Amino acid sequence: MINYQQFVLDNGLQVLVHEDRSTKIAVLNILYKVGSRNEVTGKTGLAHYFEHLMFGSSKNVPVFDTELEKVGGSCNAFTNTDITNFYITLPATNIETAFWLESDRMLQLNLSEKTIEAQRKVVIEEFKQRYINQPYGDVHHHIRGLAYERHPYQWPTIGKNLEDIVNYQKADVEEFYFTHYRPDNAVMVVAGDVTLEQVKILSEKWFGSIPLGKISKNPVLQELPQGKKKTKVVEADVPTDALYKVYHMPGKLQDGYLESDLITDILGFGRSSILEQQLVKNGNLFASIGAYIFGTVDPGLLVFSGKMEKGQPAELAEKALDEVVATFLSSTVSENTLTKIKNQAEAMKIYESVQLLNRAMSLAYYAHLGNPDYQQLEYEKKIKIPSEEIIKQANKILVEENSSVVYYKAKN
Amino acid sequence: MLDRSKAPEFKIPSSIEFPTPIQRTLPNGVHLYFIPTPEIDAVKLEISSTINETSNSKLLVPYFALEMVTEGTLTKDAATLDDFFDTYASEVETESGFENHGLSILTTKKHFDKVLPVYRELLTEAIFPDKELTKRKKQKALSIHINRDKNSHRASQLFRKALFGENHPFGQITEEKDVDLVYREDLIEFYKKDLWTNSEIFLTGNLDDSQLENIIREIGNIPVAFFQNPTTGFPNQKHQRVAEEKEKSVQSSIRIGCHLIPKNHPDYFKLNLMNTILGGYFGSRLIKNIREDKGHTYGIYSSIGGLKNADYWVVMADVIKEHDEAVIDEVYMEIDKLKNEPVSAHELEVVRNYMIGKLLSQFSSGFELIGRFKSIHQAGLDFGFYQQNLDYILHAKPEDVMEVANKYLHREKMVEVIVG
Repeated sequence: MINYQQFVLDNGLQVLVHEDRSTKIAVLNILYKVGSRNEVTGKTGLAHYFEHLMFGSSKNVPVFDTELEKVGGSCNAFTNTDITNFYITLPATNIETAFWLESDRMLQLNLSEKTIEAQRKVVIEEFKQRYINQPYGDVHHHIRGLAYERHPYQWPTIGKNLEDIVNYQKADVEEFYFTHYRPDNAVMVVAGDVTLEQVKILSEKWFGSIPLGKISKNPVLQELPQGKKKTKVVEADVPTDALYKVYHMPGKLQDGYLESDLITDILGFGRSSILEQQLVKNGNLFASIGAYIFGTVDPGLLVFSGKMEKGQPAELAEKALDEVVATFLSSTVSENTLTKIKNQAEAMKIYESVQLLNRAMSLAYYAHLGNPDYQQLEYEKKIKIPSEEIIKQANKILVEENSSVVYYKAKN
Repeated sequence: MLDRSKAPEFKIPSSIEFPTPIQRTLPNGVHLYFIPTPEIDAVKLEISSTINETSNSKLLVPYFALEMVTEGTLTKDAATLDDFFDTYASEVETESGFENHGLSILTTKKHFDKVLPVYRELLTEAIFPDKELTKRKKQKALSIHINRDKNSHRASQLFRKALFGENHPFGQITEEKDVDLVYREDLIEFYKKDLWTNSEIFLTGNLDDSQLENIIREIGNIPVAFFQNPTTGFPNQKHQRVAEEKEKSVQSSIRIGCHLIPKNHPDYFKLNLMNTILGGYFGSRLIKNIREDKGHTYGIYSSIGGLKNADYWVVMADVIKEHDEAVIDEVYMEIDKLKNEPVSAHELEVVRNYMIGKLLSQFSSGFELIGRFKSIHQAGLDFGFYQQNLDYILHAKPEDVMEVANKYLHREKMVEVIVG
């Protein structure tokens, strides 16, 4: 378990402190509760693009990075479907600089024309580098677009297309800032060689006077239950066919989430997993296969993704996958397998907590879900789930009507 | 009233603690380096060897030999091994580099005693079954094909080929047809003769004395050959331009670089500083110019590549196709600026403090220290290198940057690669 203490400022900013005296550095992590799920059609990718704008200038900080580098710090950020997370690592003696920088850009970011246009170009190049100019690069665009019809999860965080990025207006950007970048929409974690008292004083000093948000967030359009199987064929200049079969599954805090997570652990985690052993190591259709979940706040997807051996068609591979899944649906999960999963979960907690930054991020993420203890509670709950609950959940979601399949075909 | 226009006071640390690993020597002559991390219940054990550059084994043989050690031993088949390591949440990883190769295991303190003897089996008891090899060959051929289609991967390959020459292992490009030429017999021969050569053990985690003794006993009896590789120097050739046009690409991947000096050379720290200013961090001149000002790229970086006797320097970026030549010209323009104009006191302060902060943070997480030690140790140095670097950074002068830029970066000796 990661130790922490917490308090909330009058303006709603939630602050967690994780003291670790074994290090001389500190981390300041701010999570804003906004991601691509808060976007609308036509303005997709805005959350991620906005993350770039946060590294421009604010009223008292001409260049964010330079001021931080000057005190020995470094920083980065990421955006996903649900959150935007900013983090700073620096010598603990200089932690106040991180408060100064983060509070200034939360209070009064300069949305200059120059930054807006420069970052628009940078994000367009990021889109091209990661999603166009790579073999299989656009596959998540296809999967999400097929599986979701209403929910904003239907586009990846980078955005649905380049056109949306080209068309953002200054007004869109300003509205986004004033709606989401507010103290009552954020969680801050300060970790490392710091004390609770020190963090209390600094938080009040730098963040205490930032006003609450005035614009209310729009509700997110939820997906309706899927009635029948959906398929899509994509042809591209790639060396071999790939298969992506996805099923709708519960969101992070909903019933059945952990059971769904266990389904992919058993079927797809590690070299001893069922899919790896049966389809890859002892089969001739798949060169590789994986199973994982989108652990999203709103209902997510359980994903099977595989690459075929050269010349083997994705349609045939799907049949082989379906057979393995069908056998699993009428099976019992052995005690050995459950022990394995339990050991994996326990070890993963150890491996993931090695880094101070990971601990800070993890606290922020679970606090944003409603309770920093969720990580531990989730772990304890997960390792006690019996075989019949896992198989029951599998029978509920791993059905054809609930599936969407992308056949990513090699041309020629 | 809080005055936000005034930045808080700050202090830059003038000393950093660089730990000394515990050192032991095994009966077979293998040195073991151990950094204890009593607060972390994970364990990482790695055996790393020096590649015998004169042994002349076929391409990919070391790669497959290492990958195949988990595909069956004298007493356990592949499925049994897979299940064993997964059950104890342990990850076996292979390292196949240009100069070193090896095998590591990441596990937990709790399971370490059970896992160690099985890990030990992998080192000498692997049997290389044909069925598993056939599958692995197909997988490797496919990944070579997919990587070839990635501009950035292709650009790095072509860069190394031009820099080191296609006859040197560092410059060779593996192709799908090389996979076909690998046979079980090659792997067995390599495994017996060339895998455990000049081997050393790098260990970290929460281990007690008896666990350390177990490692020494278990691994102390594997046969290890010791030898010395010839020292190869790589002189820079005359300017080369390699271009591979890809009609459908929307971006070009570029590389610009040359051979440099080894890490123990007196100019090394100055070069490291110069590289950081030019393209080694997010506040660098290349990022500011090509990304933040012109928006030609998502990222552009320069770095010093770590090879034991032949460090090299390289600039890397994926840029808008129409602007590839313009970006290359800008890179040389930035180099010329470094040669002709002294770095301002402000920029030097920023980069100096950034570098010290980075160093402090790199040495703050116990579990990663062994990896850092390994790389510097395999270059023939120790943590004293970082202390010297810190001492240098604290006293660096603008003239240093001009001096090394003029001495080492010459367009007429650069290799340039464009793919896309």
